[in-house]
Amino acid sequence: MLGFDVIGFLISWLTLFGTYAILSMSLNLEIGFTGMADFGKVAFYGIGAYLAATITAFTFLFVNGIKCPLHSVEAIVALKECASKNPALNVSIFVLCILITFIITGAIGYLISYPTLRVGPAFLGITVLSFGELLRIFMRHFEPTGGTKGLAGIPHPLAWIPDPRLRDGIYAAIVLVVMLLTYLLSEKIANSPFGRLMRTVRDDEIATLCLGKHVPRIKAAVFFLASGLAGIAGVLLAYYLGSVNPDMFVPAVTFNVWAMVIFGGMGNNKGALIGSAIITFVDRISFVVNLLFPQAIISPDYIRWMIVGLLILITLLFKPQGLMPETPIKTLALTAVAEESGGEENA
Amino acid sequence: MLEVIDLARYFGGIKALDGVSLKVKKGSIVGLIGPNGSGKTTLFNVVTGFYEPTRGEVWFNGERIDGLNPNEIYLKGLVRTFQIPRLFQSLSVLENVLVTPPHQIGESPLNALFKKKWANQEMNLARQAFNILKMLGLAPYTNIKVSDLSAAHIKLLETARGLMGGAKLLLLDEPTAGVAYTTARELFDFIVKLRDEKGLTFFIIEHRLEVLMDYVEYVYVLHNGKLLSEGKPDEVVEDKKVIEAYIGEG
Repeated sequence: MLGFDVIGFLISWLTLFGTYAILSMSLNLEIGFTGMADFGKVAFYGIGAYLAATITAFTFLFVNGIKCPLHSVEAIVALKECASKNPALNVSIFVLCILITFIITGAIGYLISYPTLRVGPAFLGITVLSFGELLRIFMRHFEPTGGTKGLAGIPHPLAWIPDPRLRDGIYAAIVLVVMLLTYLLSEKIANSPFGRLMRTVRDDEIATLCLGKHVPRIKAAVFFLASGLAGIAGVLLAYYLGSVNPDMFVPAVTFNVWAMVIFGGMGNNKGALIGSAIITFVDRISFVVNLLFPQAIISPDYIRWMIVGLLILITLLFKPQGLMPETPIKTLALTAVAEESGGEENA
Repeated sequence: MLEVIDLARYFGGIKALDGVSLKVKKGSIVGLIGPNGSGKTTLFNVVTGFYEPTRGEVWFNGERIDGLNPNEIYLKGLVRTFQIPRLFQSLSVLENVLVTPPHQIGESPLNALFKKKWANQEMNLARQAFNILKMLGLAPYTNIKVSDLSAAHIKLLETARGLMGGAKLLLLDEPTAGVAYTTARELFDFIVKLRDEKGLTFFIIEHRLEVLMDYVEYVYVLHNGKLLSEGKPDEVVEDKKVIEAYIGEG
């Protein structure tokens, strides 16, 4: 009998949606608002995931006085045993990882972007794309984090909740809360004078420079923020899956996020949310279909990519601005102007 | 206020500017005219730091500014507009004007998160910007995207932006190109008003001599990269050399 677990499906979709929504909003800050083509999103996503996995596994082993390599079988067994012993440890490491990762991935993003922001936009894209690939290949051969096998058995921040359904449900809620915070942050940035500068850089970099604005500094700040956010998405992924390995972070992930932003609408945070919701939904559905019909003639796994490609094509043909086109900035300026012109009429 | 001494700029063998010296006094409105290709825009480009001079000096408010970057010169209060306006196409008219003031509090990414810090300044700048737009007759278009604006309005907006940027000396490159005759006169009336009220100085490239000559106090005429003539508008108009440069030798 085909058993379809609706709640389980929703939980896994919402978790994945939250993670990807953070990624697409961070990409939206770069390409949508500032016009920086970041083809290496996955690098920072991966760094975030690896940082969370390494820090968590190391701390748990260290606190429990177990001495063995992080990737060894003994470590995985030991981690499983001590995962639910101390809820406070789980939660505090989770919070700590998010903070540390934000700063470290942000700083790495800043350093990577530093030499490329002063030259043409294509350089940034190529540099971070190759950085991501090099990092992935390096991690495949880096023994301390398990090489191609990666790390497994990472204690879940809610491992002390015995019911797995409840645990996953609460975790999905946490991911959605982080997503909401990211959304509020992005909106705040986009609707400020700094957000206005981001758009002027996108529209005409030279003209912005002529107005006495420090364009490389603006770009670097955006890149720091966006990379940091991508790192946080990586942390959420690592805990959700409980394991990381280098081949999770192929460039296709980056392009998937690009698809979400193009589909949803560049320069619109709500668009990024909708784009990631729909594309992760397609992803999950095709996964479920794949499980239900293992002997399908064409694997739904491949159909997933075709659907994403089709969505992009249709978007570009019929609604090139995406589902939700960019909206004007909602700064205070218009209120001031409304007051001013209102005052005139009264006088 | 602005003094240019023996300024030259060569592009390979072409002498776009060849030893030009001129002065713009504080609080004056000075015109710069000359046939096409005479080096007017090149002069502006060199003065505002877009090109490095091959030779010569540029002084602004007692400071030597040749060789500085455009953004540094801009911050000193020497602001130019472009012959072909470079506006931010996807931003509204108001936002285009609002971008110009330097060193806004909310432009730092950290401050941007705290609305309280920049709200006040933003409101004040917006009021100021709106008043400038009103004076230039752009008020009805405040919230319209620049990409939807007509050519004449784009010209006016470019000037509005120059005015907003804390300018002391404004270099206007053909502010009335493509603008209706009456609008052009209104624009110049407004320039005079700004000079009188705010003590701004203007240095204006203009091809519409019939408008320009009624407003400027002094005119420089460039021809083939050299200063051909200078003086009060009526003197220059009578100058035989100028007439020859414009309509050919008779």
